[in-house]
Amino acid sequence: MMTNRLEVNVVRFVQLLRHMGLRIGSSEVIDALQALQEVELSERDAVRLALQATLVKRPGEQAVFTQAFARFFASPEVRAELEQEYAAKLAQRQEMLAEASEDLQFRDVPLALSEEEKLVYAAIPPAARQKMLDYIQRTAEGKQVEADFRPVLESMVRGSLTFWRKSLRNELGQLALPQSDDPELNALLASMEEQPQAAADSLLAEDMQNIAEQDLPRAQLLLQKLARQLVTRIERRFRQGKRRQQLDVRKTIRHNMRFGGTMFKLRYRNHRRQKPQLLLLCDVSGSMARYASFVLQFIYSIHSVVSSIEGFVFAEDVERVTDYFQASTDFTQTMVELMNRSQEWGRGTELATALQSLRANYPHLLSSQTYLLIVSDTKTMKVTQAVQELAEIKRMVKDVVWLNTLPAPEWEKASSVEAFQQVVRMYPCNTLLALEQVMRQKIIA
Amino acid sequence: MEITVANLRKAFQTDGYITDDDVLLTVYLALKLQKPLLIEGEPGVGKTELAKVLARVFQTELIRLQCYEGLDENKALYEWNYQRQLLKIQLSKESTSATELEEDIFSADFLLARPLLKAIQAEEKVVLLIDEVDKTDEEFEAFLFEVLSDFQVSVPELGTLQAQQIPMVILTSNNERELSDGLKRRCLYLYLTYPTVEREVEIIRARLPEVKEKLAKQLARAVAQIRAQQEIRKKPSIAETLDWARALVTLGKDSLDEVTVKQTLSLLLKRKTDQDAFTERLGAGRLAALSQEE
Repeated sequence: MMTNRLEVNVVRFVQLLRHMGLRIGSSEVIDALQALQEVELSERDAVRLALQATLVKRPGEQAVFTQAFARFFASPEVRAELEQEYAAKLAQRQEMLAEASEDLQFRDVPLALSEEEKLVYAAIPPAARQKMLDYIQRTAEGKQVEADFRPVLESMVRGSLTFWRKSLRNELGQLALPQSDDPELNALLASMEEQPQAAADSLLAEDMQNIAEQDLPRAQLLLQKLARQLVTRIERRFRQGKRRQQLDVRKTIRHNMRFGGTMFKLRYRNHRRQKPQLLLLCDVSGSMARYASFVLQFIYSIHSVVSSIEGFVFAEDVERVTDYFQASTDFTQTMVELMNRSQEWGRGTELATALQSLRANYPHLLSSQTYLLIVSDTKTMKVTQAVQELAEIKRMVKDVVWLNTLPAPEWEKASSVEAFQQVVRMYPCNTLLALEQVMRQKIIA
Repeated sequence: MEITVANLRKAFQTDGYITDDDVLLTVYLALKLQKPLLIEGEPGVGKTELAKVLARVFQTELIRLQCYEGLDENKALYEWNYQRQLLKIQLSKESTSATELEEDIFSADFLLARPLLKAIQAEEKVVLLIDEVDKTDEEFEAFLFEVLSDFQVSVPELGTLQAQQIPMVILTSNNERELSDGLKRRCLYLYLTYPTVEREVEIIRARLPEVKEKLAKQLARAVAQIRAQQEIRKKPSIAETLDWARALVTLGKDSLDEVTVKQTLSLLLKRKTDQDAFTERLGAGRLAALSQEE
């Protein structure tokens, strides 16, 4: 019976950890149970360490585990308190939803809004809420307004709530309550403080634009690590293992003449692989500068696995920056120098002119071996003209790949994305992780 | 030695490896459950040393597989001694039948055992250290976790070789890349961090008894201050702290001051950029002053 309870508790604890994002397989649960047999169950620290050694396998998970352990193995009184707190939070949430449904009505019929949208409404400042209600009221009283105006009104309210959802991200996080089938688990999950994810993981998945100034050195280190790993992987493929290579009979015979023709030392054919030539075209207009800086850094960190890199930045026109990267070794210094000297940094975007200028002034760089990589958020003037120019250039080079720094969910809303997608392959590239993935899977692969 | 936490603590201490109970208990569990132990952490926190200490404590052989980019099965497991096989063929051209010859040249005598196979074939329980496993690629990792889950390997010409004694396996990783879930699942996990000031004082005193307590404390505080600087990329390791302590004793110093820090800084910070960052953010004078504060 005792053992059974122990097993049930461990399984439930693992369930809690899984809900908190830890990846735990069943073999690890078995390990945990075996480990518990080797320690004194009455010693809290020993139990914690046994579970930790078997269930936590990433540095960033440590803090999550510690918190979960403290909550899960708390005294029954503390657990009961947590459950009460959860019930109170749930009631408050229901109240907010009911209030929102009552407020947000068009001619006495509630607007069709999701629960999440209603919660956003409940969280916005009273003045903004009143403004929204006044607007609904005025619309409802309008003379020309028919009943079929409702969808238009709903979509306007929704738009406004979407804006608020972004700016109230932190406050709304607290309102979101776990709602699984297990009330005990819900109470525990709701009591957990927001844990910063494994710092490195979160930086890699963070939009490059949002990486805080103080995290930049760490982000750069991570980027260099990613680049180094990519280079390792690719180089390993270039110098493939002996087993997969073909014997070079001619070289082998010549080399083994000294042994009287006995093949003591075998010689293999060099496996030559075409390394890609990259032409990088980075948008450095206004908000794009941060992305350009990271992408340039990454590409130049993997220079050993590409045959050549030509770097260009563009905003209103195109500017060649290849020489900056060959002259100096310290990347940060190079970037500062580049930003100071560049004419294009921070101006408006005109891709069409930039491409035209690229084609006119650097035709020798646009060969059938060249991959053209464009790093931009697609927000440019004269989209139609730019699409035509791009189609023109695509005929001259091996391929054109667009690394789009706009987060993928926003692609639908931008018409320019669709226009450019008709001509070129486009991949999201707003995080360091996405940048590494696209380079590994789509360009160098 | 009977495996208990208390015994391990005593043996580790006798060997001069001072560590926390968290570490001891995890090592104890890995030994008891006969599972590989994956140790991650910053460079220089004592990951590799832990394996060496284990070998010394259990008075057994330490078999080390140093991982590097491009390491493959040939280098890690076994290789046929091709040149020796050829010689054998040449020598027995006339005298032996083809079948006999084939059986002969694909026997254990012609097998070059690499670290993994050595550990599997060892007659007594050895410590197998797979160092810096994050430097290999995923293919090798997949191969590795097959070996680690069954402790057996197949050599087509010889059949399956089963470990006579399951070795104590320690894998270390500097966290340069995330290891696969498969490998992690087969291991117990330990994340080593830099020691606290108090713990580092104990380490200095245990390894270098000639260092006075006052100096040891100052050194440990100073090193902790340096490690706390985000801009310093290569943080001083425990071994470097010990080198620093040794150097100060050699110079006859019994306290840290600005000049001494300046003169000996290169023992801790070995990169120009780190030294510049140190001068800019902390400075020798301030570090010396901070190290005196209780």
